[in-house]
Amino acid sequence: MGRIFNRVLDRIEEWLVASFMAAATLIIFAAVLHRQSSAIPWLWDYTGALNFSWAQELCIYLFIWMAKFGAAYGVRTGIHIGVDVAVNAAGPRLKRVLVVLALSLGAFFTAVIAIMGARWVWFIHGTGQVSPDLEWPMWVVYLCIPLGSALMCYRFLQVMARFVKSGVLPAQAHGAAAEEGA
Amino acid sequence: MNVALILFILLLLLLTGTPISIALGMTVLTFLALFSSFALGTVDIVSQRLFTGLESFAIMAVPFFVLSGTLLTEGGIAARIIRFALALVGWMRGGLAMAAILACAFFATISGSSPATVVAIGSIMLPAMVKHGYPKRFAVGVIATSGSLGILIPPSIVMIIYAVSTSESAGKLFMAGVVPGILLAGVLMLVTYVTARAKNFPTMPRASAREVWVSFKEAFWGLMLVVIVMGGIYGGIFTPTEAAAVAAVYSFIAAVCIYRGLKVRDMPKVLLSAANTSAMLLYIITNAILFSFLLTSEQIPQVLSQWVVDQQLSPWMFLLAVNVALLVAGQFMEPSSIILILAPLLLPIAKSLGIDPIHLGVIMTVNMEIGMIHPPVGLNLFVASHIARMGMTEVSIACLPWVFVLLAYLALVTYVPVISLWLPGLLYS
Repeated sequence: MGRIFNRVLDRIEEWLVASFMAAATLIIFAAVLHRQSSAIPWLWDYTGALNFSWAQELCIYLFIWMAKFGAAYGVRTGIHIGVDVAVNAAGPRLKRVLVVLALSLGAFFTAVIAIMGARWVWFIHGTGQVSPDLEWPMWVVYLCIPLGSALMCYRFLQVMARFVKSGVLPAQAHGAAAEEGA
Repeated sequence: MNVALILFILLLLLLTGTPISIALGMTVLTFLALFSSFALGTVDIVSQRLFTGLESFAIMAVPFFVLSGTLLTEGGIAARIIRFALALVGWMRGGLAMAAILACAFFATISGSSPATVVAIGSIMLPAMVKHGYPKRFAVGVIATSGSLGILIPPSIVMIIYAVSTSESAGKLFMAGVVPGILLAGVLMLVTYVTARAKNFPTMPRASAREVWVSFKEAFWGLMLVVIVMGGIYGGIFTPTEAAAVAAVYSFIAAVCIYRGLKVRDMPKVLLSAANTSAMLLYIITNAILFSFLLTSEQIPQVLSQWVVDQQLSPWMFLLAVNVALLVAGQFMEPSSIILILAPLLLPIAKSLGIDPIHLGVIMTVNMEIGMIHPPVGLNLFVASHIARMGMTEVSIACLPWVFVLLAYLALVTYVPVISLWLPGLLYS
């Protein structure tokens, strides 16, 4: 049961971040094409009626959602790097303690943010704010903070549980981070 | 007093090996818990900042450029660029090494990342150099060092992050990176050429004019990317972020339809890997924005800036101090975090001393390049040691002579601002 839950969660997470990324790219590309088409009179006859003023806002929202859930995915892939000078210098016992400490700090921080974010969403819900261009209810847009952060907290706990049990961390990360990082 | 406390908390957290992003956020939370006794107003500001901090279209150039770089890297552009570089300079003394540097410079126009450049060019050129009798150390040093061109030659992720954290124009910064980037590639090639003559490294047969042309045609579509990006930004056709989105779509077409290194069904994998990296960067950015919000509300940049002015430091002394501080920071953290933490602190001081913000951006970028080939956390070192199957220590030693070359170059860029400012001055006057 737990295993199935985790597998479904993994797939949803991956699917979400990948499709947000693709959607944002296509939307901004379309918006640029649309704006440039105004220079071509016969084309503008057709495209002029379209309105892309919402594109930037949607792109920003998509990427923020991508970032919040992607950060949780990143815990799973071990891409969030820290300063490992002290950790590498430590003996095996101390190293174990430091790794668990670092992971619990991660879990604690993301849990606090999830709770604070939920409070914030609740508050915004009360104000009835809508976004400037799309006129979407802002509390839905802000939902990514508690949801993403809670998922990230879950990932930290998962990684910690695995580390305590087997001493293995997710593929540590310099190779992966280096793919396109920094 | 507060400065010391904030930095102390941050340092303590960093030493546990906590991800830098989490450490930054935790510092803010700890400080608020200690001093504002979690007044509800401040807490709400924190949760709001976590969203609104990212709510900027300029920042979104980061994920777009990461995606476009991933697409072309996986799409098989590297081999074409290398073939073209070989045709151009392979016949000179030390030709393979020269071509490796040139290929890194070309690749830097596609990717905004240094380690990615090392992987793409190094995994082909390193074995080739070793096979042709270059000392392995020399080969590794060349690759790791010239890979660092990735963040200096536009488009550059590090420069976008500097632009975002200081509200400068990313377009101007890109323009400012062009001349220093070409110059550095030239310097590296010159040093290689001199070494090659002294040690009598092999040459390659001269490529026929036809080979030059054919290889150029092959590499052309990849090299066009930088023309589209820079031309589009400069021509006012699109903003840097839109340029990055267009670059991503262009890279998709080039990788799938022209170079055929990727298939449409590979897309989920590529998107996921690009999303992974960009989410990591955006997460650091969010927390760094939170952190600099704390610094600003404690008026720390102003205090620091006032202090420096009171010391009557001359600009050159300040720049020297900046270089030293950045080189030290570069030993422990990767570039994006350093820029995000330090740029907002350094910029007000630089401004009060009459140093151009764009020039400071280039100085910081070159500093970051040195950090990349400098132990213990030089990302290029890790990647190079992985490709070369050499230990970190040996790779570090291999890069040491190059660190001095880059330091000399850093001095040049720091004290001759016109190298960076000439092109943007010309275009944006």
